[in-house]
Amino acid sequence: MRADLVILALVVGAFTWAFRYGPTRLRLPGGGADGAMSRFLAATGPAAIATLFTASVLPMLADPAGDRIALAFGILAVLAVWAWRRSVLLATLAGAACYGLAVYFAA
Amino acid sequence: MTLSSAPPGARPRAGAFRSGLLAALPIALGYFPIAFSFGVAATRAGLSGAEAVMLSVLIFAGAAQFLALALVTSGAPLVVSAVTLVAMNLRHVMYAPALLEQAGGAARTRHAWAWAWGLTDEVFGAALGAFARGGRSFSEAFMGGLGLGAYGAWIGGTAAGAFAGGGVLEDWPAVEAGLGFMLPALFLALLLSILRRAQVAAAAVAIAVTVAGMLALSPSAGILGGILAGALAGVFRRRQR
Repeated sequence: MRADLVILALVVGAFTWAFRYGPTRLRLPGGGADGAMSRFLAATGPAAIATLFTASVLPMLADPAGDRIALAFGILAVLAVWAWRRSVLLATLAGAACYGLAVYFAA
Repeated sequence: MTLSSAPPGARPRAGAFRSGLLAALPIALGYFPIAFSFGVAATRAGLSGAEAVMLSVLIFAGAAQFLALALVTSGAPLVVSAVTLVAMNLRHVMYAPALLEQAGGAARTRHAWAWAWGLTDEVFGAALGAFARGGRSFSEAFMGGLGLGAYGAWIGGTAAGAFAGGGVLEDWPAVEAGLGFMLPALFLALLLSILRRAQVAAAAVAIAVTVAGMLALSPSAGILGGILAGALAGVFRRRQR
């Protein structure tokens, strides 16, 4: 096992753990249920997940060889199955399956 | 020892831990194939199976691990690689405060050193979704089960992909393509599970800033800027009332 790879993993892993654990030691003043910090933290979740979704599909849209129709099929499948069953698991699997099949049949 | 001699609170903790493991099922089913892809990509890049698994055990951050492969195979200096990957994971700083805020001031963090290790993007989203739907409440045991389920699936998927080898998906293009869309599909489903009408504006701002940041600067800048801008939009919107 390469030593430089182990060192890289240890350093990145240590910082990642510190980023996840450190803030639990620093209880931030929320300023009450309607305080600015409370509102900031309440919006952090949707903002973070919306950001990560965008960051994961943007390269697909920006790639000239990317299959935008398959991407549309995948996204629509997630939306449809979520509206139907309200299940994160089923919506995820349906989206991946529709995307894979759309890419396959378009090839 | 009889069951009745169990310490007070042990059974609720065990139940919450099991609930966390069950809540991790969607993440595990999403993580396993993505981690499988990572294992395959790692062996294609020249890493051994043990090295691929080591990265998943020590880093446990999917996007950073894929980027690590690109950096290592391109011959980037160790310090440059480390700084890039650490910067990419900086967004995780905001997850624990957001979760604890929703849990309320009485939330315990005695064992946070353990469960916070599993606080990935997807675990954070799944926990928020479970709390938002009202079926679960915050507990360290629940968070432990949720994180452990995700961690186990991530390591197991990496090992399966690494030891299956680099060419395993070449004869299955539909499966390979579907695996590539698993992460965006999971993020979208998680977003739908936690999004409320009052937070639509925050999500929209986050998306717009992410697109602008990624196109104008870099993926890491876009991600960090998007999260911060969206969270700030949440503060601003309420002040408009």
